Amino acid sequence: MIEIEDLRFSYDEGDFFLEIPKLKVAHGETVAIVGPSGSGKTTLLNLIAGTAVPQSGQVTTNGYEISGLHDAARRDFRIANIGLVFQEFELLEYLNVLDNILLPYRINRTLHLGTAVRERAEALAKRVGISDKLTRFVNQLSQGEKQRVAVIRALVMQPPLLLADEPTGNLDPLNKNRVLDILLQYAEQNGATVITVTHDYDILSRFRRVIDFKDFYTHGAEQRPENIAGPM
Amino acid sequence: MRDVLYLAWRYLVFHRLKTGILVTSIMLIVYLPTGLNAVIEQSAEHLTARAEQTPLLVGAKGSPLELALNSLYFSTDHPELIGYAEAISVMDSGLANAIPLYVRFRSRSHPIVGTSLDYFGFRDLNFASGRPMAVLGECVLGAAVAESLGVQPGDSVISSTDTVFDLAGVYPLKMKVAGVLERAFTPDDDAIFVDVKTAWVIEGLGHGHQDLARPEAAARVLSRSEEIIVANASVVQFNEITEENLDSFHFHGDLASYPLTAVLAVPRDDKSGVILRGRYTNDNARSQIVRPLLVIEELLDTVLTIQQFILAAVIIVGLATVATAALVFMLSLKLRRREIDTMHKIGGSRLRVASMLLAEVVIVIVLSSSLAAVLTLVTWRFGPGVIESFVLT
Repeated sequence: MIEIEDLRFSYDEGDFFLEIPKLKVAHGETVAIVGPSGSGKTTLLNLIAGTAVPQSGQVTTNGYEISGLHDAARRDFRIANIGLVFQEFELLEYLNVLDNILLPYRINRTLHLGTAVRERAEALAKRVGISDKLTRFVNQLSQGEKQRVAVIRALVMQPPLLLADEPTGNLDPLNKNRVLDILLQYAEQNGATVITVTHDYDILSRFRRVIDFKDFYTHGAEQRPENIAGPM
Repeated sequence: MRDVLYLAWRYLVFHRLKTGILVTSIMLIVYLPTGLNAVIEQSAEHLTARAEQTPLLVGAKGSPLELALNSLYFSTDHPELIGYAEAISVMDSGLANAIPLYVRFRSRSHPIVGTSLDYFGFRDLNFASGRPMAVLGECVLGAAVAESLGVQPGDSVISSTDTVFDLAGVYPLKMKVAGVLERAFTPDDDAIFVDVKTAWVIEGLGHGHQDLARPEAAARVLSRSEEIIVANASVVQFNEITEENLDSFHFHGDLASYPLTAVLAVPRDDKSGVILRGRYTNDNARSQIVRPLLVIEELLDTVLTIQQFILAAVIIVGLATVATAALVFMLSLKLRRREIDTMHKIGGSRLRVASMLLAEVVIVIVLSSSLAAVLTLVTWRFGPGVIESFVLT
């Protein structure tokens, strides 16, 4: 369960700020967030992930008020609870596919990279059809393959919450559906929550709930919203 | 820690060209001063040790360095020549034992050292096989020569011609190997020793040819008187000294005027050495006497001064390289900002990510230093030999 209350966030530079009086996402829900560019969709994911901290208000995930934790505790919470999928994949070019998938285990001292993890990574790779590409480098992959690797990197830690920032933004229709299948099947089989930011209205029907961000965001003082619409 | 090292290693391997350039640059900066130092220290030790064992050298006036290098290390630079009379003069003085040296010819790349049997005793050279040269045309090989030519006592070696197209030049002489010396780890290992008279035969000052008094040589005789027989150019000259033709070899003129490159003077005692040196202080003398140790020390002083200049230049270049490497690293951090952010987002602590970046630097430094250490060891082992061969040939 994610609960956001009286949240206010702004960056150090510029006049952007985001205000969300109230938002709840239930455990196991699949949510798509849509809205114009610059409306704060990615910022919201960062706030939920704890990679950004609000000036005021609360972000509570699974009972932990993540916005109140210090940096190291937020990181530990993120490792244990959140899988992140980035729009630009953010894979490391100098690692092969398997090493990219296992990267969270290599850069977190608290995680142990054992045989079970390797087998899980290989099983996931097989499931999404890239098991024959585990030793290849990122620059030898297609866009669709890259995104599948990025998704598996998020899933390999078996997080109860998946945050995906435009995971289908750079993909053709076939690969788009493939990636969505992976995310949503994972959510269904593991009871995980999925929150996806997207510009693609064609995929909204696959999510249980859609939040239109134009009702949420404020961009400059003159556009301060009078009311908050959309599903709560 | 293993994972951090693994990620750092993967990064360096993937960017192997950049890593290679960085490792090579740092390696050279570490190696240049240490390698230079190794070469100079070892060379100085080698040069000084040989010079220390050689008390005095008498040679023609001119460059003392050329005289010392030719007499001690058999370098290819020939000093001005002196007459054999100089050796006789030193011996007759009763102040020192005189060992003649005539180092001018070569057999392939090996110097042929014309000297006397005293040389072996003076240099403390022992025979691994065979015996000292006993008759004209015999030679004794240094250990390295015997090894490289694959010859042993009873075999032959041939002196090299001086100039191929000079008909009046030096003709090759086939010399019989009488003995092989034990390895001494000095320039003697690379030398071929002959009696000084054999060296003069190589030069053509002494020669052997068919007996013109015999009937079969009659066709070659142009004129004959009681004292002189004049023959044409078809007279057979011997290019090998054998038991059969040994007696036909002879020298024309006064042996005292025959050439030497130096006389190695071994004073009977310190006082004799001082007196002998005093005899060569006259500015009008045509020859000089030098103490090889002083000559080599002077050379090393010059080398050390040059070394200081090179070191100063290397330090400046080194600082520039380190600054450039630091700049490359900082620019690389900027380019890797997204990668670092991603690592933080997926749970990498700042310390962990910084450790990985630091590990990359450490691996580069360890690799560079290891390579520099290996190169320094190789230089320590082979450098002086290479440098000496450059300086002395």
